[in-house]
Order: sequence, then structure tokens, then C-alpha cells
Amino acid sequence: MRLGIVRSRSFRGGTHAAQKKELTREKPIEPGPAVGEVAVMLSQHIGSTCRPVVKKQDKVSAGQAVGECDAFVCAPVHSPVNGVVREVALRSHAVLGRSMAVVIQPDPQENPPKLPAAEMFAPDFDEEAYSPEQICDAVLRAGIVGMGGAGFPTRVKIEPDPRFPKDTMIINGCECEPYITCDYRIMLEWTGRIAAGIKLAKRAAGCSRVLVGIEDNKPDAIDALRAALEAGGIRNGIEVLAVRTKYPQGGERQLIKAILGKNVPAGGIPPMIGVVVLNVATAAAIAEAVVCGRPLTHRVVTVTGEAIARPGNYYVAIGTSVRELIEFCGSVTEKSAKVVLGGPMMGIAVADLETPITKTTGAITVLTAEQIGKAKFERRRTACIRCGRCLQVCPESLNPTRIAHAVKSNLIDEAERNYMAACIECGCCSYVCPANIELTGYIKTGKIFLARQKKRMPQ
Amino acid sequence: MLSDIKVSCSPHISGPLSTRRVMVDVIVALLFPMAAAGYYFRIHAVILIGTCVVSCAAAEWLCCAIRRKPSTLDDFSAVVTGILLALSLPPRIPAWAAVVGSVFAIAIGKMVFGGLGANVFNPAMVGRAFLTASFGMLMTTWTTPATLDPNMSRIDRGNIIAAREHVIRGRTQATPLAWSKMAIKRRLGGETYDDQFFAATVTGEVGGCLGETSAIALLMGGAYLLIRRTIGFHIPLAVLLSAFVFAGAAYLKDSWTYVHPFFHLTSGGLLLGAFFIATDPVTAPLTRRGMWIFGLGVGTLTMLIRIVGEYPEGVMYAVLLMNAVTPLIDRLFRSVPVGGKPNV
Repeated sequence: MRLGIVRSRSFRGGTHAAQKKELTREKPIEPGPAVGEVAVMLSQHIGSTCRPVVKKQDKVSAGQAVGECDAFVCAPVHSPVNGVVREVALRSHAVLGRSMAVVIQPDPQENPPKLPAAEMFAPDFDEEAYSPEQICDAVLRAGIVGMGGAGFPTRVKIEPDPRFPKDTMIINGCECEPYITCDYRIMLEWTGRIAAGIKLAKRAAGCSRVLVGIEDNKPDAIDALRAALEAGGIRNGIEVLAVRTKYPQGGERQLIKAILGKNVPAGGIPPMIGVVVLNVATAAAIAEAVVCGRPLTHRVVTVTGEAIARPGNYYVAIGTSVRELIEFCGSVTEKSAKVVLGGPMMGIAVADLETPITKTTGAITVLTAEQIGKAKFERRRTACIRCGRCLQVCPESLNPTRIAHAVKSNLIDEAERNYMAACIECGCCSYVCPANIELTGYIKTGKIFLARQKKRMPQ
Repeated sequence: MLSDIKVSCSPHISGPLSTRRVMVDVIVALLFPMAAAGYYFRIHAVILIGTCVVSCAAAEWLCCAIRRKPSTLDDFSAVVTGILLALSLPPRIPAWAAVVGSVFAIAIGKMVFGGLGANVFNPAMVGRAFLTASFGMLMTTWTTPATLDPNMSRIDRGNIIAAREHVIRGRTQATPLAWSKMAIKRRLGGETYDDQFFAATVTGEVGGCLGETSAIALLMGGAYLLIRRTIGFHIPLAVLLSAFVFAGAAYLKDSWTYVHPFFHLTSGGLLLGAFFIATDPVTAPLTRRGMWIFGLGVGTLTMLIRIVGEYPEGVMYAVLLMNAVTPLIDRLFRSVPVGGKPNV
């Protein structure tokens, strides 16, 4: 660095998977479909499941809470439409398998989702008008959770915690997953809203500085956000930084390493080193919640993949089924073979197309038979040749092959000794494996086994 | 539409690399030393490489058939073993001996452990060690490269030592390393020949194992592997560096007795071992630190055998010995997760 070589901010390991963002990169956000039914999952976040507060045949209005919860780590869920509760029943859930949902029949005259107005968030937006308590309260009531994928309730993150004083806030605009462009589009189109959300979150958390990390393959997003954040005069302590384009740069531990050069303790959480990480979409949701009082009922979803006829970025009601969204995008070509909620690296393949979109669904990626065939089914699996590539790409410096083979042999304690719990499940090891071994799959399985064992054992 | 969707664990895409592609890359890199072998040893190279590859493949197929497992021939690892074994044998070794070595390499060196990925020792080196132990005479009978006139007298070629020693008869020629050993034993001094030989060991116009003679070809093959990132630079660098330091220390101590360290690097199996044999992923450690230790061990042991020990050549034993401790290295140098060991 002293020699004038500017090393781009990044982390150790990772992969350079094909980006494929060109499919939807230039597609502006459009309103999604007016749907025949929305199923609002009662568990869309990490933490306790909400209890339904409406009954069958109840009339609900748009923005009304339909599920609430008193636990600390929880977020309420709201109806995105005016309509009637048809039932409270089980629906397929991407992560949980099956889970309870409030199924709402929208009114016949219900329009497609309307894109929110931008005028509320002027460049000289002043967050001082809102007290930190007010902001936290609005975030809680709006049911905002981390929209990058993990779904951790945002109120818990930004509320000051005496155990972990937070001095730095990192805003995650990396979007390192291939195919997905929803965050990129909102950074371009909802810049003012994100800037306002960042300022509000900073005020609520009491952080002295905010660093926004965006991958350097999105220079226009970097410029736009930089301009918006500096428009109302130089804002103390808010800075937009370019980070290297590499998967999984958007993992919060990886982003913290890239920006601050600090490692979060293995198995630990960012507040341990005084950091809180928020996604750009979450920041936009915070602004809407605090300024307009809008709960989180809609989000931008990238519907993409080579098998989709009309890929794009859509503003859709949370609770819309995957099938309706795919059909809205001109259905799919016959090559389609796999429907993934999220991107191809970490997304979850769904078997049931009635699975509803949740607050954490950033994309629907429909992959072709050829793509997944190459990746999974056609290429022969060989024994591990111990090439060590999984160790080299692991962003957490783990030994994936050792963990995976321990799990395969049902040696869960051996897997644990090799720090299975520290795995972030980014999928880099499976991606590079020349022997085509599902390392990530084994590690995920091992974690489930471990959780079951622990449940059975009295403490 | 979407009637037949598949479900599996993430990630849903994967990189272009496959086991076969890794092996094919190694075979492509081995084309350089194979070409050099073909140039210097002509038909013998073709016969030996052909014999080894075919018998390795046959042995693998047979072992799979006996175990009633699907054949693993299509990963091409048997071909790599066959080529490596051929390149590390004397050019005119009888075909039957090559077949015996190949079958031993695959059957005992690899398949009894469970096939690719499970073997402890490098199969080619196991085959070679077996042949060395069983047929010592065949394994030390060397051939003059075809580019040299076999009828030319030794003195014409300036090999004073050879003429004085009268050790070489007919069409055989001792390897440079064997000469250096003899010279040391007979107190003739190392400097008398290493200058003449150095150029020859770089081009490959010397006696020796089929694929080990030409340093240039081996370096080109190694560079190909490094550029393609089929191998990491850690093991070759550690092997060559430690061998160079060891040989250099010996040379500095007594430059009359010991040959120049560069001569050690270019002659014998050191380059083949550093780039192609020690880097065999199956039998080398997984972590970077482990790779450094492994390479260091191979280089140092090789030089220990060459300089202190009785044999003129030591790469094979060095690799086998380090293979044996690879599990220990893996155990000692575990990967430490980012952010330190968690308190669990």
C-alpha cells in the first residue's frame, strides 16, 4: 500500500462465479402482479414465530398487522392488500418446510402494487426531526427485518445494547450473488430513500460513523449513493466505499473484513466488535417506516434466470406465490428445471411453486436443465482428490472437506472440532470442488444433526 | 412447464473444474517431458510410456472389476500414474518389468487403499520403489541419448572422468548424479565434471530416467501447471528452495567434493518430483502451511540422501517418506477459522 499499489478492499478466499447480472441489470423496477391470493407467512425472520391476530373471514386493510409477537427477537407481519382472510393455514416455506400463513383474498378492485413516491425523501432530509426511540419504535412496528437474506429483526440490531456498544454501522450494497440485481436497482432508483434510511439508522443506533460498501462492478450505484449522502452538505462520518467484486463479498463478516480490516470472532456476531451491518433494502424500508409509517409489505424481487421469458425487477406484495410471479414474467421456457428462491449460490430450490415470497426473498432464479445438469447431475462425482481448493476458497478459512467427510461418516463431534459452526454456507467449496462433492450440503446436514443431538441431550 | 422441477442443496451452479480436467491438465503438462524423452530416447520412450499407461489402465480396470465397482478409468488418474512411472524409469528397462511396476503401482499403491483419493503413497513412486527393490540392476542400467553418437569415445566428449574410470561400456551411460557420487567416493573432486554436465542436464542430453533428464522440458511443464493453477506454487517452491539451500550449504563447506547446487536442481528427479510428484494432491497436505512443511521435507530429505546417504538419487524415497507423514502434517497444521478459534 505504501508503494502506491492500491489494493482493493476484500477478504481472503472466495470465488469469481459468473455474474449473469446483465439479464436484469438495466431493467427498471416495475410494479408486480395484482394477485389472486397472498399468503403472509407468520415466520419470515429469525426468532419467534408470530401468532395470528386475525381470524377467518376478517376484513383486513393494507398495512394492517396480521401476525404479532411479544418476544424480543421477532417482527410483526402485515397484510399488503385490502381484503378478506380466507384461512390461517400451512403453506410451503422456503426455509422451514411448512409453516403457518395468513392467507388473504384481495378485494376484486385491488390494484397492482404501486411504487412508493420518492418526494418524501429530499436530499436535505433531516433525521434530527426523529428521536432514536421514535425510529426504533417505527422500525419495530413496521416489522422490518434484514432484507439481504438472513432476516434478523432490524430493531434488535439498531437498538442500543449496553453489552455491545456500537460505534460503526456498515451498509451492505454488495449484492455479490450472481443474477440478483434488486439492490442495485434500488440504489439507483431509490437513492434518496436509502440515504434517509441510513441517516435514520445511524441516529437510532448512535453510531459515530457509517461506511457503505458497494462492489466495484456497480460504479453508477457508488456514484449515486455518494452524491445522495453528500447532497445535504458534508455529512459527518458517512462514507461510500468500493469493495472488490468477489463472492461472497456481501457476507457481513466478509464485508466487515474488507472495510474495517477486522475479523468478527468465529461463531460471533458483529456487535462484538462494535459493528452493525444493514442491507440497503433494509435502509430503504426504515425510511419508509419512519417517515411514511409504512410497514414492510412489499419488496423488490429480481425474477431472473435463463429460463425466464421476461426477466426483470418487480415491486411485489410479500405473500405473492412464486408461481404467480413467474407467470407474470411471461412464464418460463421449457428448458426450466429448477426454481430457486434467492441466487444460485445460496438460494433455496423450491419444490412447491405455491411457496410465497417473504421479506427476505430478493430473487427468483429459474435455472435451465443444462445449467443445473452440468452443476449437479451430469458431471460424475469422484472421490475427494484432496486438492485443497475448498480450503483455499473458504472465506472463513475452514477445512470443508474434513467437515463434510466427518458428517458423511456421522462423526458430528469431529465435524464440530473442525469448526463446523463457523461455516457461513456460502457454497464456495461446492462451487469449486472438482470432484463435484456437495460439501456445503454435507455441512448444512451436519449442523442439523448437531442441533438435533443437542436438543435430545439434557444440558 | 415446470412439471419436472428438481430440488437440491445450494449452490445450484458450479465451477468448470472437474477431476478429469485436473488430470488432463497434468497430462498436458507432462507432454513437455514426454516430448523431450521422445527426442532423446526415441522408440524406447514410446514403448515405455505406452507399456506403463496401458498396463496401469488395465490394472485399474481389473481392480474395479474385482471389487464389482464401476470403472474409474474415465477420471484419467491411472494414465497420469502410468506416465509418471514411465518417466521415472530407465529408458531401456524391459517391458515386462514396466508392466510389473505399473500393476504394483495401481493395485498395491492405489486400489487396495480404496482407489483415487484414498491412497497414502504416490502410486507411481510405489511402483518405482518396488522395481528398485526387486530389480536393482535393471533400474540402474542407463542409456545414452540417441542424439549422442554411441560409438563416440568418451574422451572425445570431454568426459575425462569416464575415460579414466573405465566404468562405462557399450551403449550405457551413468547418470550425472551417479558420477558425482563416484567421484566423491574416489576423491576425484566435484568440480572436474559439473561444468560440463550442467548444460547437458538442462537440455537433457545425458543418461538418466526417461523423463528426468531435460530440466527445460520439466520447467515448461511445471510452468504450465502453475499458470493453469492446477498446482499451487507452495510445494514446488519449498522443495526446490530447501534442496538448493541444503546443497548450497554443502557446496560452500566443501566446494571441491560437492557439486554446485544448481547442478543438483537440474539433474536427477528433483524437478519432476517437485512439479509433478510431490504436488500429487492426494498424498500431499491440505493446508498451505502443511504444504510448505511437506515441500521442505521432500527437498531436505532428497539432499540428505544424495549428499550424505549412499544413493545417488533420493527424490523417490523423500516423497514416499513425506507421504507417510502427510496425515500427521494435516493434523498438526489445521486450518484456523477467520476470527480465531471460537470458545466452544
